[in-house]
Amino acid sequence: MRRYLKLHSIFIKQDLKKLMEYKVDFLLGAVGFLMEQAVQIFCLGIIFSTIPALCYTVNGTVVDSWSFHEVLFIYGFSLIPKGIDHLFFDNLWGMGYWIVDKGDFDKYLTRPINSWFYVLCEKFCVDALGEFIVGIALLIYSTLSMPAEVVADINWWRVIPVALVLPFCIMIFTSIKTATAAISFWTKRSGHITHMCYMTNDFAKYPVKIYNTVVKTAITYILPFALTAYYPAIFLLRGESVWSLPVTVLISVVLFGLSQFIWHKGLRAYESAGS
Amino acid sequence: MKNNEIMIQVRDLKKEFKKAVKEPGLKGSFKALFKPKYDVVKAVDGISFDVPKGEIIGFIGPNGAGKSTVIKMLTGILTPTSGTCTIGGKIPTQNRKSYVKEIGVVFGQRTQLWWDLALRETYMVLKEIYEIPEEDYKKRMEFLNEVLELDSFITSPVRTLSLGQRMRADIAAALLHNPKVLFLDEPTIGLDVVVKDNIRKAIQKINAESGTTVILTTHDLEDIELLCKRIVMIDKGKKVFDGELSELRHRYGQMRELAFELKDAEDISLLEYDKNFNLSADDLSVEVNSAAVKVRFNSDIASVEDMLSYTLSKVHVKDINVKDADIEEIIRRLYIGGGDIYETSVTDI
Amino acid sequence: MKRRLRIYKPFTRAGILEMVAFRVNFIFFLLGEIMKCFVMFFVWKAVYDSSDSTTLYGFSYDNMVVYLFVTFLSGYLTYSDGSYVIGKEILDGSIAMRMIKPVNFDMCFLFQELGGKIFQLLIVFLPITVGLEAYRWIVSGCFMLNVPMFLLYCLSLILAYGINFFFSVTYGFLAFYLKNLWGTDIIKGVIINFFSGATVPLAFMGGFGHILSFLPFASLSYTPVMIYMGMYDMGQIAFYLSLQLVWLVFFYVLSKLVLQSAMKRLVVHGG
Repeated sequence: MRRYLKLHSIFIKQDLKKLMEYKVDFLLGAVGFLMEQAVQIFCLGIIFSTIPALCYTVNGTVVDSWSFHEVLFIYGFSLIPKGIDHLFFDNLWGMGYWIVDKGDFDKYLTRPINSWFYVLCEKFCVDALGEFIVGIALLIYSTLSMPAEVVADINWWRVIPVALVLPFCIMIFTSIKTATAAISFWTKRSGHITHMCYMTNDFAKYPVKIYNTVVKTAITYILPFALTAYYPAIFLLRGESVWSLPVTVLISVVLFGLSQFIWHKGLRAYESAGS
Repeated sequence: MKNNEIMIQVRDLKKEFKKAVKEPGLKGSFKALFKPKYDVVKAVDGISFDVPKGEIIGFIGPNGAGKSTVIKMLTGILTPTSGTCTIGGKIPTQNRKSYVKEIGVVFGQRTQLWWDLALRETYMVLKEIYEIPEEDYKKRMEFLNEVLELDSFITSPVRTLSLGQRMRADIAAALLHNPKVLFLDEPTIGLDVVVKDNIRKAIQKINAESGTTVILTTHDLEDIELLCKRIVMIDKGKKVFDGELSELRHRYGQMRELAFELKDAEDISLLEYDKNFNLSADDLSVEVNSAAVKVRFNSDIASVEDMLSYTLSKVHVKDINVKDADIEEIIRRLYIGGGDIYETSVTDI
Repeated sequence: MKRRLRIYKPFTRAGILEMVAFRVNFIFFLLGEIMKCFVMFFVWKAVYDSSDSTTLYGFSYDNMVVYLFVTFLSGYLTYSDGSYVIGKEILDGSIAMRMIKPVNFDMCFLFQELGGKIFQLLIVFLPITVGLEAYRWIVSGCFMLNVPMFLLYCLSLILAYGINFFFSVTYGFLAFYLKNLWGTDIIKGVIINFFSGATVPLAFMGGFGHILSFLPFASLSYTPVMIYMGMYDMGQIAFYLSLQLVWLVFFYVLSKLVLQSAMKRLVVHGG
C-alpha cells in the first residue's frame, strides 16, 4: 500500500512536469470547465428567480422545499467527490475510448504492478481543479448566504461523519468508471457506456425528492450518485437522512468489489490489437 | 549454472479469437446491425518449443502468422485458450506481477517511454515500479549507457528523439531491471543500416555480458542471420520450422543464383532454362533488367556446372558469377510455399 | 452541378457506414446526453409546482417539456463536429492528405457528416418527435402538430446546420493558432449551449435574451424550436428565417477567408 502511494505521488509529479510543457492546453481546459460551471449556475439562478423556493408537492400541498442557496449547496457538494475522482483517476476514460481499442493496454500488463492501479494513477488531471474549486466556492458562498440559524446547525457532529464518508463517495465514481471501462476488454470500446452512466450524476445535483420512484431508486441504489451529493449535503444542512451514511459505505464497498471482479474477468478476455 | 538450463517452455499453446464477419457494402453493414455473425479464428494452433537460458532465438513468419499472439501470451498480455507456457518456472497469467519482473519487452512500433518528458524521467519512474535498489540502478544505468550510448540524449524529451535513439532508449527501459528474458518485437523496424548495426551489436553485447535470453521477432532477415543461432518459424498458427539456421540453409539451401551481364541484350531470347533443364516455376526464377540477368535455380535438379556451360554456350557474357542463395531467398520460398508443404519437411528434421 | 455532387457521394456513403459501424457507441452516447433533458424535466416540474402561476414567461409546463426535448433534438441534429475533426487533422498533419485530393476540402467534411445525419434522422429524430407528439396528444387531448409549421421547422433546421457547419469549420482553424483541441472544444460547446438557449429559454433572460436572439447562436437551435412550438407568428418567422440566412452567408464567407489564410500558413509550415 505504501509503495503504491509513493508510486502515485511520483506519477503526479511527472504529470505536473508535463503540465509545464503544455500550459496553454491546461489553461484552456480549466477555463472551459470553469465556464461550463458558471453557465450552469447562472441558469440555475435564472430558474430560481421565478420562484421563492423549490417545492416538492403532493396533490398541491407542499411537503418539502429548498431555497436557492440550499440547492446551490447541494450542487456545490456534488462537485467535490466528482472533482476529486476526476483529478486523480481520470485515465479510466481513456481505457474505454482508446487504450484498449488501440492495444495500448499491453504496456500496463508488462509491469510488475497492479494493472488497474497503473491505469488509474497514470494521469493526473489538473483541469479537474476547476470543478473542485467551484464546488468549494459554492459551498462557502451558499453557506454565507443562508440564514444564521441554518448555518448554526452545521456542527462537528455533521461535518465529521460526512468527511469520513467522502472517500466512499469518491469510490462510487471510481467504481462505476472502472466497471464500465472494463467492458472495453470485451467490446474494445466502452467509453460511451461510461459516459451514459456518468451523465446520470446530473440527477444528483438536485434534491432527489423531486424525481419519481424509478429515478429515485436508480440514483440511490443502482448508479448511486445521489449518495455522493444530495444525501450527504442535506445531512450537513438539516441532519436529515442519517441512514444514507452507512448505506453509502456499504454500497460503495459492494460496487468496488463488483468493479474489481469485472476488471479481473476482463483481463482474461483482453485480446490486444492486431494479430 | 548449467548451460543447457531451460528458460522458456511452451507446450501445445493455442489461442482462438472470435471475429465478426461482415458482408461488404452498405447492405452488409445493415445486416450486421441486426444479425452479427462470428467466426472463430485460430491465431495460434498448438505450438510447442523450448528455449535454453542465454540463447538468442529468432521468431519469424509472414504477416498474420500468429507471431505477435505467441509473444503476447509469453509476456502475459494475452491469456492462452489452452496449453501452457512457463518462463523460469512461472506461469505468466497466474503470477503476473512477479512474472513480469523477470522479463523485459520492447515493441518496436510502440514506445513505452513518457512521450512528453525527458528520457531520464522514464527511467526514474521505472526504477520505482520495479523497486530497483539505488545502487543496482546506478550500476545498471552505467552499463546500459556504455552499451546503448544514451548519454547524449538522456535529458531530451522523448518526442524529440530520432527513431534510432528512441529504440535504444526503449531497449534500455526494458533492461533496467536486469530481466532474465528480453522480448524484442521488430527492434530494427524503420531504422537505417548504420543504426540497425549498432542496435544488433548492443543486443549481442547484452546477451553476452548479462546472459539475457532474447526472443526476437523480425521481418529483417539480416537481424536473424547476425544475431540468432536458432530460429522458430510459424505460419498460420503452426510451427513450420524449428532448428539451427545452418540446418535451414542446409535443408533448403540448394538454391543458387547465377548472375551475368549480356553483351547483347537481345540474346535473352536464346536462353530457355525451363525447357532445357526441366525446372518448374518453384525451382527457377529469371530476373531480367535490360542486359543484367539473375537466374535462381535449384542445384539439386540442375547442377551449377551444367547451368554455367549451357549459358556460356548460348550467349556472350561480360561478367558472370554464382552465389549461394541467401537466407532471405530460402525463407521467401518457405513463406510462399505455405505451411502445408513444409510440415512434411519438418517431421523428418 | 449534378456531376459535382456525384464526386461527394462516396463521402456521404462513408458517413453512413461509419455511423452504422459505431451505432452501439452512438446510442449509448445519446442516452447519456438525453439524461440532461430528463433531469431538467423533473426540475422544471418542481419549479412549476412551486410557482403560483401556470406559465412562466409565456411557457406552460407542457411547453417547457416540448422545448427541452426539441431543443435537444435540434441541437443534436444541427451539431457539427467539423471543428474537432479539422483541428485534429491540422495538429497531426493529416490535413495535407486532404489538400492533395481534387475535391473541395470542406465539402468532403460536409458530405461525410451529412451521411451521418441521415442515420441520425432515422434513429434520433423519428423516435423523439413521435414520442413528443404522443406526449402532447395525451396532455392536450388533441393532435398538436402543425404540418406547415413543421416544414418551416425543417427548413430552419437545415439553415441552422449550415451555420453550425461553417462556424465549426472556422473555429476548427483556430487549431492552427492555438494548437489545442480539448479545451477550445469545451469552450465552444459552452458558448453554443448558453447563447442558443439550450439550458434556459432566451425568453427567461429578459432584454438580454432578446439581444441574444439576434446572435448567430440563437439561429442554431432557438429559432427552429420556437417555430416548431408555434411561439412565433408569420412575421417573426419570416424575420428569423432571413436572419438565419444572413448568418449562413456570413459564416460561409468567413470560413472561406480563414481557410485561405490558413492554407498560406500550411505552405509555410511544410518544407
